[in-house]
Amino acid sequence: MNGLPIGVLLAIFFATTAISAQSMFRGDAMHSGQYGGPAPRQFHRVKWKFPTGDRVISSPVFKDNVIYFGGDDGNVYAVDAASGRQIWKRTTNGPVPATPAIANGTVYVGSYDGKFYALDAKTGALKWKFATEGERRFEAKGIHGWQPKDQTIADPFDIFLSSPVVANGAVYFGSGDGNLYALDSTTGDLRWKFKTGDVVHASPALANDILFFGGWDSYFYAVDATTGKEKWRFHAGEDPLIHNQVGFQSSPVVANGVVYTGCRDSNLYALDAATGKEKWKFFNDLSWVITSPAVAEGKVFFATSDSSLYHVVDANSGKSVVRQQAKAYMFSSPAIVGDVVFIGVLNGTLEARDTKSGELLWDFQVDASKRNNGWVLTAERKFNDPFLYYSSWREAPIVANDKQIRIGGIFSSPLVVNGVVYFGSADGFLYALE
Amino acid sequence: MQLDRAFLRLIAIVAFTAALPCRGEDVISGRWEGSAQIPDEEITVVVDLAQENGAWVGSIIVPGFDVKGVPLSDIAVKQPDVSFSVKGPLGIRMKLRLDGNGKMTGNFEQAGNVAPTSLQKTGPPQVEYPPRNTPVAKELEGEWKGDYQMLGYTRHVSIKFTNRGPDGATVEFVIVGRRTNNLPVDLVTQEGDLVTVDSRGIGFSFEGRLKEGKLSGAIRQGAVETPLQLERAK
Repeated sequence: MNGLPIGVLLAIFFATTAISAQSMFRGDAMHSGQYGGPAPRQFHRVKWKFPTGDRVISSPVFKDNVIYFGGDDGNVYAVDAASGRQIWKRTTNGPVPATPAIANGTVYVGSYDGKFYALDAKTGALKWKFATEGERRFEAKGIHGWQPKDQTIADPFDIFLSSPVVANGAVYFGSGDGNLYALDSTTGDLRWKFKTGDVVHASPALANDILFFGGWDSYFYAVDATTGKEKWRFHAGEDPLIHNQVGFQSSPVVANGVVYTGCRDSNLYALDAATGKEKWKFFNDLSWVITSPAVAEGKVFFATSDSSLYHVVDANSGKSVVRQQAKAYMFSSPAIVGDVVFIGVLNGTLEARDTKSGELLWDFQVDASKRNNGWVLTAERKFNDPFLYYSSWREAPIVANDKQIRIGGIFSSPLVVNGVVYFGSADGFLYALE
Repeated sequence: MQLDRAFLRLIAIVAFTAALPCRGEDVISGRWEGSAQIPDEEITVVVDLAQENGAWVGSIIVPGFDVKGVPLSDIAVKQPDVSFSVKGPLGIRMKLRLDGNGKMTGNFEQAGNVAPTSLQKTGPPQVEYPPRNTPVAKELEGEWKGDYQMLGYTRHVSIKFTNRGPDGATVEFVIVGRRTNNLPVDLVTQEGDLVTVDSRGIGFSFEGRLKEGKLSGAIRQGAVETPLQLERAK
């Protein structure tokens, strides 16, 4: 056979994998959260920052020297990774706090307008769009103890939309209508949909032709990717009183036959991928786990909201390996590059930590956070909660949440390509740091 | 000519001293209204200061921040300097200086942030006083225990009432969940058969009525309320 030597073939395979591993949420279909290339252990400068019309909750993805992301201003953006110049933007009719997936020259992403879009990656031209049964946020009566307690209130912390996974000629994503959808990635035709009990805003992970995802109904599901049939379901915590300790907002990661996922019941769960049986859980003392965990070298990396803790636990046992106190809530998911882990913090800071010790290597604070309008932050960059959440009545907590976010919170999960760290901020900018 | 100059000097001295507040004259007492300029926002502040039996007392209102008539602590008046604190979750500290125009200007400090502030006297003081503990009925004295569910797990409550004569009752308020919390109690009252125990600083309260040997009511944590029945500890 006059083929290429096996070493060259392997090199091509791994190079292709490395590139495709930056083109969807959490890097790949299993959501490993690991990225190749050099790890910037020091911060030198802002390479560029790209302004949009509203907050950037979406995480950036990379393909062929282009960064793609969604904006809460309703646009999907393609930006030159080297210069930060806009290549195209495509307007939807709602905010896009979802992370696009790039495959086959197509950008796939959902919008709060209730439509799912397939756009030409080069031009932004519409290839097709699919109407779900409608998008909405999780809601409950008297949520988080807010008043009136008998009135239904939408949860402002339900901030992400489901990010799609593309494989097997299909695109998979969750929706506020409670369905997980499988569409033909070329035509947008519906292959199947799987109904859950509430909003699905987590991103499904795919391994061995099984989709894994959790919903706001507090169930975690394993669904056959070909047929859409349920394989198993796992029930997490409930909170009928104030609906605070309930639901899966975190997206799972699959590694070595185990599914790891955070939950708003304040646990990080490790579930057997084949059976759904709980292997272990790590309790976080009523603090939500919104981050999507990353798995590397037999360890699980994640962070918490209210307790603002950065954790590394043993993937087999769930025992704590590293625990570091951050200054504010973390919804952003950790990105691992070599011996550095990057994570966004809601006080408008991007942190780079050593993977082994968890110690802070450097951080970067966005300008909005430095301005500290309305004293959202204390002088120590912690959330000034008594100044924000002084009332549980009317729109007060909603307004407080909005002020909190506008400080430049980094919900976006960092992407690292060729030593450059890309992430969005709720100050309306996409940043590239080197 | 020299006499005229000396006379003018005397007039000037008299006029200047008359303009200064006399030692002991209380120019600080009053209602002071103004604002603190924090980034991108102006916070309205109303401060009432008065002297009672030779000691300074005061309260503060911060409209829009759910602060109404909260007592001032650590009041220090050494004219022209005035400073005080507002204890509780907000944790405000104000350091002011009276100027020649009858204004108090200085700093509004909270959570390590500092903003310039300026207050103008608008009238006599209207100091608000915190409600005082009342005694509780004899049959309530002693320890009461009960359980409730919140955020997915059971918490054990112990409330122990002790009458302290003219100072009203005091309470030991303990909640045991995953850890033991001794709650600082700000207020204990009994009005008719309704008993209230307030731990405002951390947002807990219990309200109940004694019926058939049980203290039945509800516990509140922030805006969250859940039923709680206490029985006398054995």
